[in-house]
Amino acid sequence: MPLSDMPEFSDDLLKEFETRRTERVNTPVIQPAEPFLDIAGEDLRRRIFLTESETGASLCLRPEFTIPVCLRHIETATGTPRRYSYLGEVFRQRREGAHEFYQAGIEDLGDKDIASADARAIGDATGVLKALLPGRKLALTLGDQAVFEAVVQALGLPLGWQKRLIHAFGDMEHLEALLERLARPQPVAGLDPEIAGLIASGKEAELVARIDRTMQETGYSTNASRSPAEIARRLKEKLELAETRLDGSALLLLREFLTLQLPLDEAPAALAGFADAAGLKLGAALALFDARLAALANAGADIGGMTYRAAFGRPLDYYTGLVFEITEAGSSAVLAGGGRFDRLLTLLGASDHVPAVGFSLWLDRIEAGRADQ
Amino acid sequence: MNTITIALPSKGRIKEEAATIFERAGLAISAVGNDRSYRGRIEGIEGVEIAYLSASEIARELANGAVDFGVTGEDLVREGMPEVDQKVEFCARLGFGGADVVVAVPEIWLDVETMADLGDVAADFRARHGRRLAIATKYWRLTQQFFSRQHGIQLYRIVESLGATEGAPAAGQADIIVDITSTGSTLRANHLKVLADGVILKSEACLVRARKTVHDGDPRIAKIVKAVRTAL
Repeated sequence: MPLSDMPEFSDDLLKEFETRRTERVNTPVIQPAEPFLDIAGEDLRRRIFLTESETGASLCLRPEFTIPVCLRHIETATGTPRRYSYLGEVFRQRREGAHEFYQAGIEDLGDKDIASADARAIGDATGVLKALLPGRKLALTLGDQAVFEAVVQALGLPLGWQKRLIHAFGDMEHLEALLERLARPQPVAGLDPEIAGLIASGKEAELVARIDRTMQETGYSTNASRSPAEIARRLKEKLELAETRLDGSALLLLREFLTLQLPLDEAPAALAGFADAAGLKLGAALALFDARLAALANAGADIGGMTYRAAFGRPLDYYTGLVFEITEAGSSAVLAGGGRFDRLLTLLGASDHVPAVGFSLWLDRIEAGRADQ
Repeated sequence: MNTITIALPSKGRIKEEAATIFERAGLAISAVGNDRSYRGRIEGIEGVEIAYLSASEIARELANGAVDFGVTGEDLVREGMPEVDQKVEFCARLGFGGADVVVAVPEIWLDVETMADLGDVAADFRARHGRRLAIATKYWRLTQQFFSRQHGIQLYRIVESLGATEGAPAAGQADIIVDITSTGSTLRANHLKVLADGVILKSEACLVRARKTVHDGDPRIAKIVKAVRTAL
């Protein structure tokens, strides 16, 4: 029997997790803060409850489950594939709503069949919500970082620009600023003419030696994080990138792509049509997109009722492909959010690449939804 | 009648400058008890007390609403509370204590002149160095707002630094700093440079009012603000 202040539908939820062949895991409420700040960025700091141990170690109250579940998986070294589920309290500083609330979810680690694992995560999230909110009309929005990456790559931009755009994916304001820079390149100002000369004449070794000398003289070299070679290489790359201009039609294409929003069952044709018209080869990314859709359709999902939004992503560097959100139709309150995070486990220290996909359920919102019934 | 408390800096040049402005504003301060007392009174307006506090305490007391007015640096007030403009009103900029909160990187980072450059470096940092870009600062909130909201840079770590922040990069405690500077000479002496678009805040001493409903319609509030403004 779960704790008495758990949501009243906890038993139903745990049964759902069991029939979906997951292994329920628990993790300590008090967690080392380091992995969360390291992975999710400093912005998280003002949204979590931080404290310090007597020895000065930074600790926090568990703000979410994905990182603890993955860390536990790495520590126990039980091998993949694994399907974990969790149900427990998380703690966050929020402007609205309680600071402690229950979250539950499934993390699917190590399944190499990406398309079917993606479809299963969507199916699980939708299935659980339908069981908990019977008769409600749900709305699912889906995005795919891999498709955006393919578009950027196919446009033939230099690697540095591809990285910038991909890094900003999901943050429309930042992305717009980058597109603006691509439309109107600004020459690099204020560079020492001597340095500029070294680069222009390809004397990279001399440039590196010069940077090294300055570092020695200024007493900076002992603890320098960025080496002379790294600085020289990026300086060269920066000058090249500053000259990159995306011509008007390519820019229009990119903007057109980012505005795509349509029923999911129409997305493959629309994306193929977009690629054709633009003369872009999006091969592998579209193949995976279509395979995921086929897997969803096979599982009986109503893909015509789901929405594909090309600009939907999360600007964190461990998300790699699918992202999705489920709300009640007409509402903006997210009931379930998930996605594929193939880079997370290696960032957390796993020695092997572990493909991973999962979702979490906002139980306080689900509870509120049930109360409205 | 409720008491209005004005918090003034308790030491240093900022104390003298604040006293000069209040004097010029016709708000003469008399010490309560003896000359070294940390309490005072404004002569001529009933129920207005002076509390002498350190500049950072003044920012904190304004955030708590424990004082009605304070004279302190804008940087401390903005760093000290979320949604600052809803909680306090900057009534007057006093023209002293000027200093900028800036993003500064090692001079030898020839490839980094703008926040966009820094964004590129931060995005790649973990892959190259096995850790996130580290920023030494005491300005957690201002740094987060500037990096995340204004420049879309998420991936960095803040290393708390309570003093001699300019030395952190050379000492290997951090890669870059966010710190306050008035002339830039300490930065230059430590071979650091301010990014072209790296000024987070142009700070100076301000007369700041905690927004409280009891202030509505209290003529003493308007009188104090007006007196200080005309003295500038």
